[in-house]
Amino acid sequence: MVQVVKVKAQSRKEQGSKASKKLRKTGLVPCVVYGHKESAISLSASHAELIKIVKHGVRLVDLETDGKVEKALIRDVQWDFLGNDVIHVDFSRVSADEKIHITVSLELKGTAPGLLSGGVLDMPMHSIHIECLVLNIPDVIRVNVSELQVGGVIHVKELVAPEGVKFLADEDAVVVHIVSAKAEVASTVPPELGAATEPEVIKKPKPVAEEEE
Amino acid sequence: MALMPKRVKFRKSQRGKIKGNAHRGNTVSYGEYGLQSMDSGWLSAQAIEAGRITASHAIHGEGKLFIRVFPNKSITSIPAETRMGKGKGEPEYWAAVVKSGMILYEIGGLPEAIAKDALSKVAYKMPFRCRLVSRRPSIG
Repeated sequence: MVQVVKVKAQSRKEQGSKASKKLRKTGLVPCVVYGHKESAISLSASHAELIKIVKHGVRLVDLETDGKVEKALIRDVQWDFLGNDVIHVDFSRVSADEKIHITVSLELKGTAPGLLSGGVLDMPMHSIHIECLVLNIPDVIRVNVSELQVGGVIHVKELVAPEGVKFLADEDAVVVHIVSAKAEVASTVPPELGAATEPEVIKKPKPVAEEEE
Repeated sequence: MALMPKRVKFRKSQRGKIKGNAHRGNTVSYGEYGLQSMDSGWLSAQAIEAGRITASHAIHGEGKLFIRVFPNKSITSIPAETRMGKGKGEPEYWAAVVKSGMILYEIGGLPEAIAKDALSKVAYKMPFRCRLVSRRPSIG
Protein backbone atom coordinates (compact mmCIF):
# COMPACT_ATOMS: atom_id res chain seq x y z
CA MET A 1 0.00 0.00 0.00
CA VAL A 2 1.29 3.41 -0.91
CA GLN A 3 2.34 5.74 1.89
CA VAL A 4 0.63 9.16 1.91
CA VAL A 5 2.36 12.04 3.70
CA LYS A 6 1.02 15.53 4.39
CA VAL A 7 3.09 18.38 2.94
CA LYS A 8 2.48 22.03 3.76
CA ALA A 9 3.22 24.47 0.96
CA GLN A 10 2.66 28.15 0.32
CA SER A 11 1.93 29.72 -3.03
CA ARG A 12 4.65 32.09 -4.27
CA LYS A 13 4.54 35.00 -6.64
CA GLU A 14 8.23 35.46 -7.41
CA GLN A 15 9.50 33.25 -10.20
CA GLY A 16 12.80 32.77 -12.01
CA SER A 17 16.25 31.61 -11.00
CA LYS A 18 17.13 34.71 -8.95
CA ALA A 19 14.00 34.51 -6.79
CA SER A 20 14.41 30.72 -6.47
CA LYS A 21 17.98 31.14 -5.21
CA LYS A 22 16.76 33.62 -2.58
CA LEU A 23 14.03 31.22 -1.59
CA ARG A 24 16.47 28.33 -1.15
CA LYS A 25 18.61 30.46 1.15
CA THR A 26 15.63 30.80 3.50
CA GLY A 27 15.28 27.01 3.81
CA LEU A 28 12.46 26.63 1.30
CA VAL A 29 12.33 24.75 -1.98
CA PRO A 30 10.49 26.05 -5.06
CA CYS A 31 7.82 23.61 -6.21
CA VAL A 32 5.07 23.54 -8.80
CA VAL A 33 1.74 21.73 -8.88
CA TYR A 34 -0.05 21.01 -12.15
CA GLY A 35 -2.51 18.63 -13.77
CA HIS A 36 -6.24 17.89 -14.02
CA LYS A 37 -6.59 20.71 -16.58
CA GLU A 38 -6.20 23.31 -13.82
CA SER A 39 -3.65 26.07 -13.93
CA ALA A 40 -0.12 25.38 -12.70
CA ILE A 41 0.62 27.00 -9.34
CA SER A 42 4.10 27.90 -8.13
CA LEU A 43 4.65 26.85 -4.54
CA SER A 44 7.33 26.74 -1.91
CA ALA A 45 7.76 24.07 0.76
CA SER A 46 10.18 23.36 3.57
CA HIS A 47 13.45 21.81 2.40
CA ALA A 48 13.83 19.68 5.53
CA GLU A 49 10.34 18.25 5.09
CA LEU A 50 10.75 17.56 1.37
CA ILE A 51 14.17 15.93 1.55
CA LYS A 52 12.89 13.64 4.30
CA ILE A 53 9.94 12.39 2.24
CA VAL A 54 11.92 12.12 -1.01
CA LYS A 55 14.69 10.09 0.64
CA HIS A 56 12.09 7.80 2.21
CA GLY A 57 10.70 7.06 -1.25
CA VAL A 58 7.29 8.64 -0.66
CA ARG A 59 5.38 9.04 -3.95
CA LEU A 60 1.96 10.33 -2.95
CA VAL A 61 1.34 13.40 -0.77
CA ASP A 62 -1.59 15.36 0.61
CA LEU A 63 -0.57 18.81 -0.51
CA GLU A 64 -1.93 21.55 1.74
CA THR A 65 -1.80 24.87 -0.09
CA ASP A 66 -3.33 27.96 1.50
CA GLY A 67 -5.91 25.92 3.43
CA LYS A 68 -6.82 23.67 0.46
CA VAL A 69 -5.78 20.00 0.55
CA GLU A 70 -5.34 18.01 -2.67
CA LYS A 71 -3.74 14.68 -3.49
CA ALA A 72 -0.59 15.03 -5.53
CA LEU A 73 2.05 12.75 -6.92
CA ILE A 74 5.74 13.62 -6.75
CA ARG A 75 6.32 13.68 -10.51
CA ASP A 76 9.89 14.98 -10.67
CA VAL A 77 12.66 15.96 -8.28
CA GLN A 78 15.64 18.10 -9.24
CA TRP A 79 18.84 17.69 -7.27
CA ASP A 80 21.91 19.86 -6.96
CA PHE A 81 25.03 18.79 -8.85
CA LEU A 82 26.31 16.62 -5.98
CA GLY A 83 22.93 15.00 -5.38
CA ASN A 84 22.77 16.27 -1.77
CA ASP A 85 19.91 18.75 -1.83
CA VAL A 86 16.56 18.96 -3.52
CA ILE A 87 16.33 22.15 -5.56
CA HIS A 88 12.89 21.78 -7.15
CA VAL A 89 9.92 19.45 -6.92
CA ASP A 90 7.11 18.89 -9.43
CA PHE A 91 3.76 17.77 -8.01
CA SER A 92 1.07 16.37 -10.27
CA ARG A 93 -2.59 16.52 -9.15
CA VAL A 94 -4.19 13.08 -8.95
CA SER A 95 -7.43 11.59 -7.68
CA ALA A 96 -7.62 8.36 -5.69
CA ASP A 97 -9.38 6.36 -8.43
CA GLU A 98 -7.11 7.52 -11.24
CA LYS A 99 -4.82 5.27 -13.28
CA ILE A 100 -1.34 6.67 -13.67
CA HIS A 101 1.92 5.87 -15.44
CA ILE A 102 4.88 5.83 -13.11
CA THR A 103 8.42 4.45 -12.83
CA VAL A 104 9.16 2.04 -9.98
CA SER A 105 12.54 0.65 -8.90
CA LEU A 106 13.37 -3.03 -9.33
CA GLU A 107 14.79 -4.98 -6.41
CA LEU A 108 16.53 -8.33 -6.61
CA LYS A 109 15.31 -11.04 -4.26
CA GLY A 110 17.31 -14.13 -3.33
CA THR A 111 20.78 -15.31 -4.27
CA ALA A 112 21.29 -16.58 -7.79
CA PRO A 113 23.01 -20.02 -7.94
CA GLY A 114 24.76 -18.80 -11.09
CA LEU A 115 26.73 -16.32 -8.97
CA LEU A 116 28.07 -19.13 -6.78
CA SER A 117 29.25 -21.01 -9.86
CA GLY A 118 31.33 -18.10 -11.12
CA GLY A 119 28.82 -15.96 -13.00
CA VAL A 120 28.53 -12.17 -12.99
CA LEU A 121 25.16 -10.56 -12.45
CA ASP A 122 24.24 -7.84 -14.93
CA MET A 123 21.15 -5.72 -14.41
CA PRO A 124 20.51 -3.51 -17.44
CA MET A 125 17.10 -2.41 -16.12
CA HIS A 126 16.99 -0.76 -12.70
CA SER A 127 13.45 0.63 -12.88
CA ILE A 128 10.31 -0.16 -14.80
CA HIS A 129 7.47 1.91 -16.21
CA ILE A 130 4.10 0.73 -14.89
CA GLU A 131 0.41 1.59 -15.02
CA CYS A 132 -1.58 1.34 -11.80
CA LEU A 133 -4.12 3.05 -9.60
CA VAL A 134 -2.81 5.92 -7.50
CA LEU A 135 -3.40 4.06 -4.24
CA ASN A 136 -1.78 0.89 -5.59
CA ILE A 137 1.69 2.20 -6.38
CA PRO A 138 4.17 -0.48 -5.26
CA ASP A 139 7.30 0.64 -3.40
CA VAL A 140 9.47 -1.69 -5.49
CA ILE A 141 8.97 -4.54 -7.94
CA ARG A 142 10.78 -7.62 -6.63
CA VAL A 143 12.64 -9.81 -9.08
CA ASN A 144 13.24 -13.35 -7.89
CA VAL A 145 16.70 -14.47 -9.01
CA SER A 146 16.94 -17.53 -6.78
CA GLU A 147 16.77 -19.90 -9.78
CA LEU A 148 18.97 -17.97 -12.17
CA GLN A 149 21.93 -19.96 -13.54
CA VAL A 150 24.88 -18.78 -15.66
CA GLY A 151 23.47 -17.72 -19.02
CA GLY A 152 20.01 -17.36 -17.52
CA VAL A 153 17.92 -14.31 -18.38
CA ILE A 154 14.83 -12.74 -16.81
CA HIS A 155 12.73 -10.72 -19.23
CA VAL A 156 9.94 -8.25 -18.42
CA LYS A 157 7.34 -10.87 -19.43
CA GLU A 158 8.67 -13.22 -16.72
CA LEU A 159 8.20 -10.68 -13.92
CA VAL A 160 5.35 -11.17 -11.48
CA ALA A 161 3.25 -8.02 -11.39
CA PRO A 162 1.58 -7.08 -8.09
CA GLU A 163 -2.21 -6.93 -8.15
CA GLY A 164 -3.55 -4.05 -10.24
CA VAL A 165 -0.17 -3.29 -11.82
CA LYS A 166 0.52 -3.48 -15.56
CA PHE A 167 4.04 -3.31 -16.98
CA LEU A 168 4.44 -0.84 -19.84
CA ALA A 169 8.01 -1.78 -20.75
CA ASP A 170 8.80 -3.95 -23.78
CA GLU A 171 7.96 -7.58 -22.91
CA ASP A 172 11.23 -8.90 -24.34
CA ALA A 173 13.44 -6.37 -22.55
CA VAL A 174 16.10 -7.96 -20.33
CA VAL A 175 15.74 -7.16 -16.63
CA VAL A 176 18.61 -9.20 -15.25
CA HIS A 177 20.96 -11.85 -16.56
CA ILE A 178 24.02 -13.76 -15.46
CA VAL A 179 27.01 -13.88 -17.77
CA SER A 180 30.07 -16.04 -17.35
CA ALA A 181 32.94 -14.34 -15.51
CA LYS A 182 35.42 -14.98 -18.35
CA ALA A 183 33.27 -13.12 -20.87
CA GLU A 184 32.89 -10.28 -18.36
CA VAL A 185 36.64 -9.94 -17.77
CA ALA A 186 37.23 -9.82 -21.53
CA SER A 187 34.73 -7.00 -21.96
CA THR A 188 36.09 -4.84 -19.10
CA VAL A 189 39.76 -5.00 -20.04
CA PRO A 190 40.51 -2.14 -22.44
CA PRO A 191 41.51 -3.37 -25.89
CA GLU A 192 45.21 -3.48 -26.56
CA LEU A 193 46.09 -0.98 -29.20
CA GLY A 194 49.14 -2.93 -30.34
CA ALA A 195 52.19 -0.88 -31.10
CA ALA A 196 50.20 2.31 -31.72
CA THR A 197 51.11 4.94 -29.16
CA GLU A 198 49.14 7.72 -30.80
CA PRO A 199 45.66 7.74 -32.28
CA GLU A 200 45.06 8.06 -35.97
CA VAL A 201 44.52 11.66 -37.10
CA ILE A 202 41.48 12.15 -39.30
CA LYS A 203 42.69 13.89 -42.44
CA LYS A 204 40.60 15.66 -45.03
CA PRO A 205 40.60 13.83 -48.34
CA LYS A 206 42.85 15.58 -50.83
CA PRO A 207 40.89 17.41 -53.53
CA VAL A 208 41.26 15.82 -56.94
CA ALA A 209 43.37 18.15 -59.13
CA GLU A 210 41.25 19.46 -62.00
CA GLU A 211 42.72 18.87 -65.38
CA GLU A 212 43.68 22.12 -67.06
CA GLU A 213 42.44 22.48 -70.56
CA MET B 1 48.08 0.10 -22.50
CA ALA B 2 46.15 3.03 -21.08
CA LEU B 3 42.97 4.30 -22.67
CA MET B 4 43.09 6.81 -25.53
CA PRO B 5 40.88 7.65 -28.53
CA LYS B 6 41.24 5.56 -31.67
CA ARG B 7 40.91 8.48 -34.06
CA VAL B 8 41.19 12.20 -33.43
CA LYS B 9 40.70 15.30 -35.54
CA PHE B 10 43.70 17.09 -34.00
CA ARG B 11 46.71 15.64 -32.16
CA LYS B 12 47.07 18.53 -29.73
CA SER B 13 44.42 20.51 -27.88
CA GLN B 14 44.41 23.75 -25.92
CA ARG B 15 44.35 23.50 -22.15
CA GLY B 16 40.95 25.09 -21.62
CA LYS B 17 39.36 26.07 -18.32
CA ILE B 18 37.32 23.83 -16.09
CA LYS B 19 34.43 25.99 -15.04
CA GLY B 20 31.49 25.09 -12.85
CA ASN B 21 30.14 21.77 -11.72
CA ALA B 22 28.99 18.66 -13.52
CA HIS B 23 25.36 18.81 -14.53
CA ARG B 24 25.64 15.70 -16.70
CA GLY B 25 27.18 12.40 -15.73
CA ASN B 26 26.57 13.18 -12.07
CA THR B 27 24.15 10.36 -11.22
CA VAL B 28 24.71 6.65 -10.71
CA SER B 29 23.21 5.25 -13.91
CA TYR B 30 24.53 1.73 -14.58
CA GLY B 31 25.48 0.13 -11.27
CA GLU B 32 24.23 0.55 -7.72
CA TYR B 33 27.20 2.37 -6.17
CA GLY B 34 29.49 5.00 -7.61
CA LEU B 35 32.58 7.08 -6.93
CA GLN B 36 31.87 10.79 -7.28
CA SER B 37 34.55 13.44 -7.71
CA MET B 38 34.32 16.38 -5.33
CA ASP B 39 36.87 18.53 -7.18
CA SER B 40 37.60 19.23 -10.79
CA GLY B 41 40.75 18.51 -12.76
CA TRP B 42 42.37 16.29 -15.34
CA LEU B 43 42.20 12.57 -14.74
CA SER B 44 44.99 10.87 -16.68
CA ALA B 45 44.51 7.62 -18.55
CA GLN B 46 47.09 6.06 -16.22
CA ALA B 47 45.04 7.04 -13.17
CA ILE B 48 41.86 5.64 -14.75
CA GLU B 49 43.69 2.37 -15.47
CA ALA B 50 45.11 2.28 -11.91
CA GLY B 51 41.58 2.69 -10.58
CA ARG B 52 40.27 -0.06 -12.85
CA ILE B 53 42.99 -2.51 -11.73
CA THR B 54 42.40 -1.68 -8.05
CA ALA B 55 38.64 -2.13 -8.40
CA SER B 56 38.89 -5.40 -10.31
CA HIS B 57 41.32 -6.79 -7.70
CA ALA B 58 38.96 -5.74 -4.92
CA ILE B 59 35.85 -7.29 -6.44
CA HIS B 60 37.62 -10.59 -7.31
CA GLY B 61 35.96 -10.92 -10.71
CA GLU B 62 32.48 -10.69 -9.24
CA GLY B 63 30.01 -7.93 -10.00
CA LYS B 64 30.28 -5.45 -12.82
CA LEU B 65 32.54 -2.42 -13.00
CA PHE B 66 31.64 0.61 -15.11
CA ILE B 67 34.15 3.33 -16.00
CA ARG B 68 32.23 6.54 -16.64
CA VAL B 69 35.08 8.75 -17.86
CA PHE B 70 37.21 8.53 -20.97
CA PRO B 71 40.52 10.33 -21.61
CA ASN B 72 39.81 12.24 -24.81
CA LYS B 73 42.13 15.22 -24.26
CA SER B 74 45.80 15.06 -25.20
CA ILE B 75 48.12 16.81 -22.77
CA THR B 76 51.39 18.09 -24.22
CA SER B 77 54.64 18.98 -22.54
CA ILE B 78 58.06 20.23 -23.58
CA PRO B 79 61.28 18.51 -22.45
CA ALA B 80 63.25 19.92 -19.50
CA GLU B 81 65.92 22.55 -20.17
CA THR B 82 64.37 23.56 -23.48
CA ARG B 83 64.65 27.15 -24.67
CA MET B 84 61.49 29.21 -25.03
CA GLY B 85 59.63 29.05 -28.31
CA LYS B 86 59.86 26.46 -31.05
CA GLY B 87 56.19 25.66 -30.80
CA LYS B 88 53.93 23.51 -28.71
CA GLY B 89 55.28 20.35 -27.11
CA GLU B 90 54.47 16.80 -28.04
CA PRO B 91 51.50 14.86 -26.55
CA GLU B 92 52.65 13.21 -23.31
CA TYR B 93 49.49 11.54 -22.09
CA TRP B 94 45.71 11.51 -22.44
CA ALA B 95 43.33 12.80 -19.80
CA ALA B 96 39.65 13.11 -19.04
CA VAL B 97 38.30 16.51 -18.01
CA VAL B 98 36.52 15.95 -14.71
CA LYS B 99 34.17 18.44 -13.09
CA SER B 100 33.10 18.27 -9.47
CA GLY B 101 30.10 16.00 -9.10
CA MET B 102 31.02 13.63 -11.94
CA ILE B 103 30.68 9.89 -11.37
CA LEU B 104 34.00 8.24 -12.22
CA TYR B 105 33.36 4.54 -11.54
CA GLU B 106 30.28 2.47 -10.81
CA ILE B 107 29.89 -1.03 -9.42
CA GLY B 108 26.82 -3.21 -9.79
CA GLY B 109 25.72 -6.70 -8.82
CA LEU B 110 27.62 -6.78 -5.50
CA PRO B 111 26.64 -6.36 -1.84
CA GLU B 112 26.99 -2.84 -0.47
CA ALA B 113 29.93 -3.62 1.84
CA ILE B 114 32.10 -5.14 -0.93
CA ALA B 115 31.22 -2.44 -3.47
CA LYS B 116 31.96 0.37 -1.03
CA ASP B 117 35.21 -1.24 0.06
CA ALA B 118 36.32 -1.54 -3.58
CA LEU B 119 35.39 2.05 -4.41
CA SER B 120 37.13 3.41 -1.32
CA LYS B 121 40.33 1.68 -2.49
CA VAL B 122 39.87 3.24 -5.94
CA ALA B 123 39.46 6.67 -4.30
CA TYR B 124 43.10 6.48 -3.11
CA LYS B 125 44.21 6.32 -6.73
CA MET B 126 42.31 9.44 -7.76
CA PRO B 127 44.08 12.80 -7.88
CA PHE B 128 41.19 14.60 -6.20
CA ARG B 129 38.74 14.21 -3.32
CA CYS B 130 36.08 11.60 -4.01
CA ARG B 131 33.11 10.21 -2.16
CA LEU B 132 30.91 7.15 -2.40
CA VAL B 133 27.34 7.52 -3.60
CA SER B 134 24.54 5.07 -4.16
CA ARG B 135 21.76 4.97 -6.73
CA ARG B 136 18.76 7.17 -6.01
CA PRO B 137 15.29 5.58 -6.14
CA SER B 138 13.50 6.35 -9.39
CA ILE B 139 10.76 8.97 -9.23
CA GLY B 140 8.25 10.01 -11.84
